[in-house]
Amino acid sequence: MSSIVDPIKEGLARGWKVLGGKHGPLPTSLDCDVVIVGSGAGAGITAELLAKAGLKIAIVEEGPLKSSSDFRQLEADAYAQLYQEGGGRKTADQAMPVLQGRCVGGSTTVNWAGAFRTPEETLNYWVDIYGLKECGAEAMKPWFEQVEARLNISEWLTDPNANNSVLRRGALKLGIKAPTIHRNVKGCWNLGSCGLGCPTNAKQSMLVTTIPTALDLGATLMVQTRADKLELKGNQISGLLCQPVHADGSHAGPAFRITAKHYVVAGGAINSPALMMRSGLPNPNDLLGRRTFLHPTVASSAVMPEPVQGWAGAPLAVFSDHFLRTQPIDGAIGYKLETAPVHPGFAMTNLGGMGRTLVDKAKTFPHTSILIGLLRDGFHPEAGGGVVELKSDGSPVLDYPINGYLLDGARRAHLSMVEIQFAAGAKSVRPAHEQAQDYQSWHQAREAILALPYEPYITTIGSAHVMGGCAMAATPAQGVVQPDGQHWQVANLSVHDGSVFPTSIGANPQLTVYAQAARMATGLAKRLTERDVRLDSPAVPASAASAA
Amino acid sequence: MKRRSLLKLGIASGVVLAVAGGSLALLKPGLLADGKLSPAARQLMRAVALAVFDGLLPAEAAAREARLAAHLDQLDANIAGFPPHLRGELSQLLSLLTSSGGRLALTGLTSDWAAASVADVQASLQAMSLSSLGLNQQIYHALRDLSSLVFFSNAASWQLVGYPGPREIP
Repeated sequence: MSSIVDPIKEGLARGWKVLGGKHGPLPTSLDCDVVIVGSGAGAGITAELLAKAGLKIAIVEEGPLKSSSDFRQLEADAYAQLYQEGGGRKTADQAMPVLQGRCVGGSTTVNWAGAFRTPEETLNYWVDIYGLKECGAEAMKPWFEQVEARLNISEWLTDPNANNSVLRRGALKLGIKAPTIHRNVKGCWNLGSCGLGCPTNAKQSMLVTTIPTALDLGATLMVQTRADKLELKGNQISGLLCQPVHADGSHAGPAFRITAKHYVVAGGAINSPALMMRSGLPNPNDLLGRRTFLHPTVASSAVMPEPVQGWAGAPLAVFSDHFLRTQPIDGAIGYKLETAPVHPGFAMTNLGGMGRTLVDKAKTFPHTSILIGLLRDGFHPEAGGGVVELKSDGSPVLDYPINGYLLDGARRAHLSMVEIQFAAGAKSVRPAHEQAQDYQSWHQAREAILALPYEPYITTIGSAHVMGGCAMAATPAQGVVQPDGQHWQVANLSVHDGSVFPTSIGANPQLTVYAQAARMATGLAKRLTERDVRLDSPAVPASAASAA
Repeated sequence: MKRRSLLKLGIASGVVLAVAGGSLALLKPGLLADGKLSPAARQLMRAVALAVFDGLLPAEAAAREARLAAHLDQLDANIAGFPPHLRGELSQLLSLLTSSGGRLALTGLTSDWAAASVADVQASLQAMSLSSLGLNQQIYHALRDLSSLVFFSNAASWQLVGYPGPREIP
């Protein structure tokens, strides 16, 4: 039996209102002040702030409630239980797998804990192009500070693992800056299993921070409950139809209706636009579900002379923005360099190959280092992102074409990563591409990569960052929601998640979602209750709040 | 643009349009009512495993069969966790690939999955992986990636890659 205390079990024991799945039957109907769709980054921050304002909150989450005692650091469990579509979500043409959380805490439960402030050049672009003066770097600073205090976000001071050391060593040798990442952890064991659920509750995800706070303040959490349809009456939402589901997403009981004064959609940048599309909400400028971004991500593996054991230690500790910062934001696509955890299922699958290739990879697996390059989409006419569409059963799919502009970035990112890996002393390097080989020198690799065909499918590309589709903008012609998250055409509906980003951001998005949700939810709390709330102030119990 | 509009219908729909036309109803589903691989689909995924993991499976016949059986059971368990629409698409794909016409048209394999040699299946998968047709690429990745994730996530494969398993938490 583990020595780790499970805060979810403790909360349930002291009477949290959690329904659905194994936690008890869902209601036939429910009335509250605010219903929040989702329980990830945007939803969690919103839930805590609105609950602190004394509002009666209901949280609707399609995935299960899992917690530290369930997290066994096993890939065989984690992808199936904690990720969208059992870990099998892909873009419409199947060319890109999309990793997104589907559990209480959403992607914050399974991300690799990198916490970046939104790059200033991205915020400047949003101010200039989308009129989002509220999102300027100075205006956002207090929101970042508040969220960072709440989620214990600070620089990672532990030595990087051997995989991250490859990035640092190679980059420094080439004169490229590779600083240390900020992470949202407290008492981290440096296990390396962040993507499989944190078994020690060190990662300050929504699962162990804001959602418990909201539940302690009396919020109701409905799990294994799909938000199916918002009912529109005039320019107001009059109800949310919900569908209880089994773990696999199939129906588990009769639908029921939640009514609220206000509705916050925060289901993530594929599911949020899909819910609004299923509901037939006004979309006068045809923007809903469009400009959905992925940070299309390419990889390169290297066999190092030293043992890397890239499964152990914080998966993200070092990064480089050199190839974002040294070129114009709207020119040839830039890319951020990071590392990926080297777990057997994840790495052996994503690096491609079969037979002899896999045998060779298996032999050198403990010496394998993986770098990734995340392409910054959304700033150039040729990087307009994808479109969320609905299948006949109402489930969403993202159609995201991979064009020559993106593939040019993939090739350049491969070149950068391979050069860094050789500079760090790699014995051989192989970019993740179906036609690539193991290259023994930078010169050989460079020639080969310049000659490889860069096409969809044979170029291995994936994503773990879904953004956009419900853009915020200062005018309805440019955005689905207003700068404060409020829907432009529907009076009592707000969107508080990464779908409101008008572009990708060029950094792992969790801290940007947190900060934007904090800004939006603080404003919403003020509009609904006249109260000022903060993430870094103590929570007042619901009874005291309602008496106030 | 025709190719993209065909592909965006998803794996199965694309395959159906390309090959089966209106005869799909005559084919047996690739997944049984309980969501498990049909006997024919199990043969297919066994042949894929023999090809993809060639050199990584136990050399001794009984041990190899036991490892393959465990792999196929784990595939069943994984597929059971997929949402219904994904299971439906996979079922249709497997259905087509286990019909002789679909197999020949989509993979180029002349003998059925149980009889095909490891080398033949490898050659077929290899050709699909480098095909200029998105459809062939989709099929390759559907078969190969699903098999690989299940195989290497299983503790029985960790020794092959020198992975000690998760660090114990006292």
